[in-house]
Amino acid sequence: MPRKKKTVQNLAAVTEPLTVETSTNDLRARLDEIKAYDGVIGYILRNSTSAAIDLKDPTKIIDYAILSSSALDASQKMSELFNLGDVKDIIVEGKDVKVLSLTVDENKISVFMEKNADCSKILKKLRVA
Amino acid sequence: MESDVYSFALKETLNEIGNVCPDINNAFVFKENGEVVASDEKTSEKTVTRVVDAFDGILEKADSIGNIEGVTLECSKGRVNVSLVNDDFYLLTVTSKKADINYVNTVTRVIIPTVLRLLEKIHPAPLKSSEVSPEIEPATSEIEEPVEQAEETITPEEETLEKEIKLEPLLPETPVNQLIVENLGGLLVPSDTVRIDKEILSQWEELYEDKKINMVEIETFDGKTTTCKVKPIKDSKYEGKGIIRMPEKIQLTLEIKRGELVRVKPVID
Repeated sequence: MPRKKKTVQNLAAVTEPLTVETSTNDLRARLDEIKAYDGVIGYILRNSTSAAIDLKDPTKIIDYAILSSSALDASQKMSELFNLGDVKDIIVEGKDVKVLSLTVDENKISVFMEKNADCSKILKKLRVA
Repeated sequence: MESDVYSFALKETLNEIGNVCPDINNAFVFKENGEVVASDEKTSEKTVTRVVDAFDGILEKADSIGNIEGVTLECSKGRVNVSLVNDDFYLLTVTSKKADINYVNTVTRVIIPTVLRLLEKIHPAPLKSSEVSPEIEPATSEIEEPVEQAEETITPEEETLEKEIKLEPLLPETPVNQLIVENLGGLLVPSDTVRIDKEILSQWEELYEDKKINMVEIETFDGKTTTCKVKPIKDSKYEGKGIIRMPEKIQLTLEIKRGELVRVKPVID
C-alpha cells in the first residue's frame, strides 16, 4: 500500500512542471506573435524557473526588467492596500514608451510598446485560454 | 505644515470630487519625490505613505520609458489610476469596478489641473508660505502713508508698534517636517540617534541663525512623542526622500515601524 502512494506522489511531481512548461511555451509563442504587432518593442516573460527576453534595444534590458518587476510588485501592494481583489494588469505609460504587465498563472509578462500601440489587442491575445 | 493653504485647497477639491463622483473611493496628490501634497478625507495617511512607497520603485526606473505620465492598474474589484498633472504632480484615484471611467477622468483631469494652476497663480511658492506676509506689508503701509500725512497727530510710536505686531509672524516658528520612517541598524549605530536629510538640518539651522541642531522631537500620528539626538543621513540613497532613519529602540518606544509617517521638529536649547 505505501508503495502505491509513493508512485502517485511521484507522478504529481513529474506532471506539474510539465503543465507549466506547456503554458509557458504557449505564452512565448503568443508573445512572439504580439511582437509583430504595430508599435510593439519587445517583451519579458519570466517564471520561477526561466526567463525569456526579446527586446529591440538590448541596452535597455536591465532597466526594463527592473521596471517590469517594480510595476508588478507595486500592483500587488496597491491592490492589497485598497482591497481591490485580484490584479488583472497594470499599464505604465511614459512619454515615449508604455509597458503592459500582467501575471498569467505563474508567468509574469511585460510587453513594451510605443505610446500609441493598442494595449487591448495584446491583452486579448494574452488572456485567451 | 508650511503649505497648509495649498494642501487645504487641494484636499477640499479632492473631497468635492469624491462627492460628485461617489465611485471614487480614494484620491490623493503627490510629487515625484514622494512628498504628499494632499489627500481626501477617506484616505488615511498610512495608506498614502505605503502607496507612494510602492510607487517609488516604478518612478525610480521611469527614465527608461521617458518618465511616468500615467499608470492604470486593473483589478477584479476596481481600478487605480495615476496621472501626471501640470508636469509636477501625480493624481492617484481609486475607483470601484462599476465606475464610469470617462466621467471620472473628465472630472478629475479638468478640475485638479485648474485648481493647481489657480493655486500657483495665487500662491506661487506653495512651500514657502512665510514669504507671503512681507508682500502684504508694503501694501498696507502704502495705504497708511497718506493718512499719516493728513493726520499728523498720529504718533510715530504707534506706527512702529503696528509694524512690530505685523512682523511677529515672521519670527521663526518651530518648523515641523513629516518624514517616513526607515530602519537604521548596525553594530556601531547609537540607539538614541536618528538621521535625517542634511538639507532639513541646514534649513533649521539657517532659521535659527546657525544654531546647531542636535536634538529633535518626534511625534507619531497616535500622539506618542520622544526626544532624541539627530545627525545627517550618510547614505546617499536615502537622501532627499523625506526619510528619517531610526534605530529599532526608538521605533519600539514610539510603537511605529518602517514606512510610517512621523512629525519631526528641532529642539532649540
